[in-house]
Amino acid sequence: MDKKILIVDDEAHIRMLIEQTLEELEDEGVEFLTADNGASALEIIQEEKPNLVFLDVMMPKMNGMDVCQKVKKELSLSDVFIIVLTAKGQELDRQRGQEVGADVYMTKPFDPEVLLDKARQVLGIA
Amino acid sequence: MSLPTLKSLLGKKSEVTAWLQSFLEMTKAEISVEDNQHNLLFGSAPNPSQTFPVTLENETVGWVNGDERASIVARLLSIMIQKDSEKKRLGTEVLNSYQELNVIFNFSEKLAQTIEPNVIAQLTLEQAIHSIPSHSGVIALWDNEHAQLSIPASSGEKLFNEELLRNNAELLLKIGLSGNSEIMNDLSVLKEKNIIAGDVQSLVYAAMKVKHRIMGAVILAGKNQEQYSAAHLKLLVTLALQSSSAIESALLYEKNIREAKEREEAILRIHMVTQKFVPHEFIHSLGKEVLTDVKLGDQVEKIVTVLFSDIRNYTTLSERMTPEENFNFVSSFNMRMGPIIRKHHGFINQYLGDAIMAIFPNQAADGLAAAVEMQKAVQDFNKERQSNNQSTIQIGVGMHTGSLIMGITGDENRLDATTISDTVNTASRLESLTKYYKASIILSDETFRQLQHTEKFHLRNLGKVQVKGKLAPVGIYECFSGNKKEEIDKKEKTLFAFNKGMSEYLNKLFADAIDSFNEVIHSHPEDLTAQFFIDKAARYIHDGVPAEWVGVEEMLNK
Repeated sequence: MDKKILIVDDEAHIRMLIEQTLEELEDEGVEFLTADNGASALEIIQEEKPNLVFLDVMMPKMNGMDVCQKVKKELSLSDVFIIVLTAKGQELDRQRGQEVGADVYMTKPFDPEVLLDKARQVLGIA
Repeated sequence: MSLPTLKSLLGKKSEVTAWLQSFLEMTKAEISVEDNQHNLLFGSAPNPSQTFPVTLENETVGWVNGDERASIVARLLSIMIQKDSEKKRLGTEVLNSYQELNVIFNFSEKLAQTIEPNVIAQLTLEQAIHSIPSHSGVIALWDNEHAQLSIPASSGEKLFNEELLRNNAELLLKIGLSGNSEIMNDLSVLKEKNIIAGDVQSLVYAAMKVKHRIMGAVILAGKNQEQYSAAHLKLLVTLALQSSSAIESALLYEKNIREAKEREEAILRIHMVTQKFVPHEFIHSLGKEVLTDVKLGDQVEKIVTVLFSDIRNYTTLSERMTPEENFNFVSSFNMRMGPIIRKHHGFINQYLGDAIMAIFPNQAADGLAAAVEMQKAVQDFNKERQSNNQSTIQIGVGMHTGSLIMGITGDENRLDATTISDTVNTASRLESLTKYYKASIILSDETFRQLQHTEKFHLRNLGKVQVKGKLAPVGIYECFSGNKKEEIDKKEKTLFAFNKGMSEYLNKLFADAIDSFNEVIHSHPEDLTAQFFIDKAARYIHDGVPAEWVGVEEMLNK
């Protein structure tokens, strides 16, 4: 089955950066989906069941933590691997991230090499 | 960066595909799109009349087959794929910038965690080589203090001859450490001098500077031509600047620590020395820790035992010596006495020529034990002197217990640690009595009273004296524990008779007293104290005594 990655961030340049970082995966056949707010992210997750989601925390309408909570705790979609992204230095978020069931917690600015490695690891593509 | 393909452009869910679909439905045209291997990507055109290429940067990436309308599709697809390509290129550039930012961010974090210059240099080189692929790299730092080049970090293949690098500091200073940062491709001079290996094709270096001072440089070497770009240089310069200020801070920090330590050691030395001039116990009694805390007017009153010792007939003795011999004699004497006093929890308040004034703040017994040991030490001292054909000495020790004021007197610019009290005078006068009564150690009745275990010492009551300047008479005792063994034994044996004699003497029973003292002399002919009282008693028999006489001896002079 085709692998899918969902990138959720209200800032367009971040979405583009993450896409660009993972570009080689796209060439290897991974499908990229994007969303710029929490509500549509939830819809896409329920419909497309992506393997990996990059979830920004600070977003209008519905923030990343709430999305994660819904997906992991309420909908129990355990096959969706969620990486939560937030600005550096917010330790409180790390705790909250654990509470809502996030799989990995990453800070921005992220290290592109690390991001790519993680994605490969999660998707099981060497 | 890989170029976009026609296949990806027409991937499922692509809006291009949706548009093409509606275009074909609207125009009812038969059009097919193939990649450059002629694999069908979209549509169908069983009998195409024409075929048009889709191009990206002058390369054909696919074909559109159909009628003349196919040309429009081909043109449009070319434009779209061109736009895609530009977008990707931009994206790659942005990612590169983002990565650079990330590098600098992480590097700053790493730098913030260390304060050692060598570690900073190593981290810097590590980061530089990681971000700017090179075959080899070094960091050279200029040590101003020792006027030499040091190489705290090197990495990769051995393409630099570090020895020559160090020795050719001037050459390097001219070429590279001039404060500039450059990519160098003409390496002939360096290769001539064998500073770098022959297969190095390009160098990039960045100066490390703080303000206008050149600290050194980061130098990377590559075996490929055109290995380094302007972007690489920019990154290297950034890393170099960051590490320069970190190293500068680290060096300053080291310097600060060193200087602080030296200052501390100097202060400690001063404190240790001042303790030798003003005893620590004195300062401590004033409630202060160190001499520098003390000020004019500080004082404390305490009950202590004061001990005075003096060398008998020192004046006569010193006349026979040269000034140097004198000095050596007194020094030698004091060196023996000092430790004894300290051993018994006392401290030396003053060395006054041949006299010593010591204070025992704790127990009277401490002082008396010290006095006894001092007398024994004099005996040993004398044995030595005799073997050197020198005359022997004798000391007298006087002790009194009472209150004492210790304080800092003087004026603003000249302070002195002083003891002021009557107790001191009394002790001093008692010491002078020792030659009079022919006793080696005399203590006052107050001191006697303070002794908790009088049985530990050999004591004889010597009556009372009227010390010059004091109102009340002072009772005195002799301690003979410090005498030679034979003397101690004899005085012990005759103690009963002696005490009897004293009692009779104080009760004006002078004839009986003389008899008792004669008994003492009979067993111990050398007991000069007994003889002294015999003479006194005889005189009183002859001259008579006033009715109110209670046995107090008048001391007319010190």
